[in-house]
Amino acid sequence: MAYSQDLIRNFCIIAHIDHGKSTLADRMIELTDTVAIRDMEAQLLDTMDIERERGITIKATAVRMYYTHTDGKQYMFNLIDTPGHVDFTYEVSRALAACEGAVLVVDATQGIEAQTLANVYLALDNGLEIVPVINKIDLPSADPEHAIREIEDVIGLPATDAPRISAKLGTNVNEVLAQLVDLVPPPEGSAEAPLRALIFDSIYDNYKGALSYVRVKEGTVRAGMRIRSMATGNEFDVTEVGVFTPTLKPTEELAAGEVGYIAASIKSVSETKVGDTITDVANPAKEPLPGYKQANPMVFCGIYPADGADYESLRDALDKLVLNDASLSYEPETSMALGFGFRCGFLGLLHMEIIQERLEREFDLDLVTTAPSVIYKVKKNDGTELSVDNPSNLPDPSEIMYMEEPMVEAHIMTPSDYVGSIMELCQEKRGVFKDMKYIEENRVNILYELPLNEIIYDFFDQLKSRSRGYASFDYELKEYVQSDLVKLDFLLNGDMCDALSTIVHKDKAYGKGRAVAEKLQEVIPRQQFEIPIQAAIGGKIIARETVRAVRKDVLAKCYGGDITRKKKLLEKQKEGKKRMRQIGTVSLPSEAFMSVLRIN
Amino acid sequence: MSGLYVHIPFCKAKCRYCDFVSFADHDCMGDYCAALLKEIRLSAAALPKREYESVFFGGGTPSILPVGAISLLLHALKESFTVLPDAEITIEANPGTLTEEKLKEYKAAGINRLSMGLQSANDALLENVGRIHRYREFVQNYECARAAGFDNISADIMYGLPGQTVKDHMDTIEALYRLGLDHISAYSLIVEEGTPLYTDIIGGAESLPAEDDAYLMHKKGMEFLEQLGYHRYEISNYAKPGRESRHNVNYWENGEYLGLGLNSHSAMRIEGQWLRFANTASLPDYLSHSARGVRPLAEPPEIIPEKEEMFETVMLGLRMTKGVDEENFRKRFGKSMEEAYGDALLSLREKGWLLRENGFIRLTEEGLDFQNEALMSFLDD
Repeated sequence: MAYSQDLIRNFCIIAHIDHGKSTLADRMIELTDTVAIRDMEAQLLDTMDIERERGITIKATAVRMYYTHTDGKQYMFNLIDTPGHVDFTYEVSRALAACEGAVLVVDATQGIEAQTLANVYLALDNGLEIVPVINKIDLPSADPEHAIREIEDVIGLPATDAPRISAKLGTNVNEVLAQLVDLVPPPEGSAEAPLRALIFDSIYDNYKGALSYVRVKEGTVRAGMRIRSMATGNEFDVTEVGVFTPTLKPTEELAAGEVGYIAASIKSVSETKVGDTITDVANPAKEPLPGYKQANPMVFCGIYPADGADYESLRDALDKLVLNDASLSYEPETSMALGFGFRCGFLGLLHMEIIQERLEREFDLDLVTTAPSVIYKVKKNDGTELSVDNPSNLPDPSEIMYMEEPMVEAHIMTPSDYVGSIMELCQEKRGVFKDMKYIEENRVNILYELPLNEIIYDFFDQLKSRSRGYASFDYELKEYVQSDLVKLDFLLNGDMCDALSTIVHKDKAYGKGRAVAEKLQEVIPRQQFEIPIQAAIGGKIIARETVRAVRKDVLAKCYGGDITRKKKLLEKQKEGKKRMRQIGTVSLPSEAFMSVLRIN
Repeated sequence: MSGLYVHIPFCKAKCRYCDFVSFADHDCMGDYCAALLKEIRLSAAALPKREYESVFFGGGTPSILPVGAISLLLHALKESFTVLPDAEITIEANPGTLTEEKLKEYKAAGINRLSMGLQSANDALLENVGRIHRYREFVQNYECARAAGFDNISADIMYGLPGQTVKDHMDTIEALYRLGLDHISAYSLIVEEGTPLYTDIIGGAESLPAEDDAYLMHKKGMEFLEQLGYHRYEISNYAKPGRESRHNVNYWENGEYLGLGLNSHSAMRIEGQWLRFANTASLPDYLSHSARGVRPLAEPPEIIPEKEEMFETVMLGLRMTKGVDEENFRKRFGKSMEEAYGDALLSLREKGWLLRENGFIRLTEEGLDFQNEALMSFLDD
């Protein structure tokens, strides 16, 4: 029944953004006739549309292909497509753990980037066989030999035999398929052993509930079995198992070595978490597979509806998103300035942006978000300790003995020309230089220890602009260190605006206070009275700006032909006013909160 | 009451702040007048009869039309519409286009009010904004008009012009007082997007007076005008007693008016519905419509729901210093302003922006300065 393990190859593709991962995957799908060429685009797009309609993430997917090798045998390929960003490192590591091999795609015109390197190390940690591939050889600026040298020098992988391909044109993609058979080992593990299936992703389907994407390591899973999630202890009855063609296709069973999905009427993806092990209740495994971690949010911000009346819609939208995204957390919070909203936790900045964008795009919500924050640890004088992810919850300074903030280790890869300005950036961001290695003559890998709260604003944008887009960046969370942090508040006409408060390092407080006050002075519309803007630490004012009073707000002329236009103008003005937030006596447009986030 | 407005979209030269529909090319002036005469007949036939208490030739520069044209148009109006014998009949005239002959013609045709575009008594300021005339010409035209028998003359002036000082503005007011003007409209300069002035200001080639100075021009100018016996009856309009523009007061009382000519606007109650309609803003369309015997409407009339009509009545009425006539409001809408806008009235009164006096609801001086803001309260949340 089960496909012979010798003929199975499970692999993923590691590539930097734009280095051609999806194009290569598409070519493989074509070459293996998995999807008829004429249907290909249509079919893939259709799936996407369905996904969108159902409100599920366009994230990790998998596809099963059959490839006939030069030895005449037909091999089963399971390609697991992983999200490729630092925020999702854990998800990537679990997807890698589901494979025996990884295709490393390197752009022949650009070489290896930081994120690629990080993922290659992750793959090596998971014992994967790496199949290097040089892509984009069709471009005039391609230098495949250089890319090969880089792979050998930087990663230490022999790459002389790496296929030189053009995924776009389909050149030599066959060779990649052949090498997958030759280089990637087949899976091991007995189909008769107690079931151990690794969840490498989960998505929510409106009809089938949360689906677990699994790699069966040992044993066999089939419909009708009662299964248990070993980390959570939740038990479910399997209603369906199947594979990805790439659409979901039910099969009788999934045996050791295979990749597929399990449907078990699971209500939400939070009950079938990435990294968890599924076992058979009737014949349970003794130990779960290694590596399960609870994915914890690292970055937090307040999300509020621009129009207070949309609070319910925002909650419904978050309820829906979390069905499909176990790493998103949210709880109601109230701000004096913004009213009712939610404190949301994210894996990282990209994750935060994706969620915000999805809320706005898929749910048609207009949002106001507060400045992102990390979790600070506060040691109080009375010996108690607490974690603070919202500046408003910080105890009075007199109660605080000391505070700690999370640090990250950041790898930055850059052409050597930009080392100076990047190091300057890292210094500005309170970075501690750790190491610098020349990968080759003019490419450098810089290692810095940076406070997470310094990189959650504009670090990435700055890095890109200071390196003309060439530098790439990856980080991982290290430990908490004691730090001299203060809460920076802003007062408008004497009233504090809680939504503008942030926690910053003492040395940064003055500069930040001044910059934000100046920015606010620009964006706050003039009102009928003068508005003092003050930045304060504790009771001490550190910066002050003033929005001058408007003296007159009236149309000079209004005769017969002006009436309709004038009325429309007033209606528009009123609409804008409705969208303003009232901080004491001051009306503040939503844009004010946003613009403050974009301060260098 | 009802008013007639006739638009003449031609000017000798376009001023640098102007965003109105007007043309400095005069080749089609004759065609335009012919089309206008047709439209007068078409509209009179199409619309319900009204007794018109005012006629206003506006522009553009109506006085640019060759001798005889205005008489012809006015004659046609009187023939097609009922223009009451004591109607106020105004023509806008710009110095530099007026002649003794034209003034005599206007007088003979029955025009009894002259509205002259002076803008400032300072020639440098005039030149800078692209006005074609100099102050001396204005004085000559004015005296000529008086000699022709005009006893109701208004002048438009502007403040907040590039390079203008508070003193310039005061000097202009004083000069007009000395000349004996009956009515003065003092407008704050609005720099409209797309005008040459706008481009210059955005580009930094030109700069407006500091905001505080512009505000002083407004405040001091207002005080000075009042002191000289011109009482402020609307946000930008000042008149000697009894010399208020009846035609314009009708707009602010949200009365009926019929606009004729390019891009002119109308408001009228027809079969119980309050309608607004406007003519096309395209000169070729205007000419071709009239040639085909079709009224040159831009779009079908817009039906204004009562709630909007009510708001318009407040929006316009509160431009006048006397405010909205409570009794008229009740008659028109079947409910009092208190019933319609209780909350708004209360909050504005508390703010010191609104007063209720002698059957009128009006804005205070401060309320008038922030009229836009005050009007927000009358719009739904």
